[in-house]
Amino acid sequence: MKITKIYIGILYIVTIVCSLLFIIEEHYNIAILLILGNAIPGYPLAKSLLEKNGN
Amino acid sequence: MIDEQIYRRFNHTVAACFVVYFLFPQEIFGIERSIFIILFWLLVVTIEILRFQKGIKIIGLRDYEKNRIAGFVWFASGSCLLLGLYELDLVPQNFVIGTIIMAAYTDPLIGESAKNWGDIIGILSGLACSFAIYQIIIGGFFYPIIGSIVAVAAEKPKIKWFDDDFAMQLFPILAMSILYAYGIGPDLIDEGILIKGDA
Repeated sequence: MKITKIYIGILYIVTIVCSLLFIIEEHYNIAILLILGNAIPGYPLAKSLLEKNGN
Repeated sequence: MIDEQIYRRFNHTVAACFVVYFLFPQEIFGIERSIFIILFWLLVVTIEILRFQKGIKIIGLRDYEKNRIAGFVWFASGSCLLLGLYELDLVPQNFVIGTIIMAAYTDPLIGESAKNWGDIIGILSGLACSFAIYQIIIGGFFYPIIGSIVAVAAEKPKIKWFDDDFAMQLFPILAMSILYAYGIGPDLIDEGILIKGDA
């Protein structure tokens, strides 16, 4: 489970870094697609992980 | 416990980040960047072989994937193939970018919509999502319409040894590229080069 959580953390970092790279290169359309597309499943996943940790 | 359904969807959408490849320089540590496509693909295949041989349990895999090639291998194979085709100058860059992002988002969206609201809504949401992504990346209407219809059609057949994660990338880009190459489709802005200076 711990490995899975580390893996999920890496996925978030990859998404953020890739989005930032596209923003820096002024490819805003791709950056927005990456942010929005990953936020839809990423947000509930993060929320569920934090809730479990809180309990 | 992790919600495996959401976890699986997130794994799928993160695959859109494959397009960061186009921001890489032509050479990384003196090695052609295209070599890294092959190395990455070999890494994915190695993980899959180890999963079969050692029986490693990977969270998020569906039950039916236990005895067959997993979806992540199919998706990575499709994306690597598309990047390879681009490096061989066989497909335009914006088709590759649009198709990888489209496949990463549309497949889980169809699955989620079909599960909650039925197959027809699943197909319609898939068409809308893939069309919107192609429109944002490629522009115009011709290629987004062709690409989205082919992508959603490729998602439907359930064949044991040919996954939709691969089909949803291969068939739309083939359809659009053939139409473009034979001059049937309209010209692309900047010949389809979206990220300049990568070549």
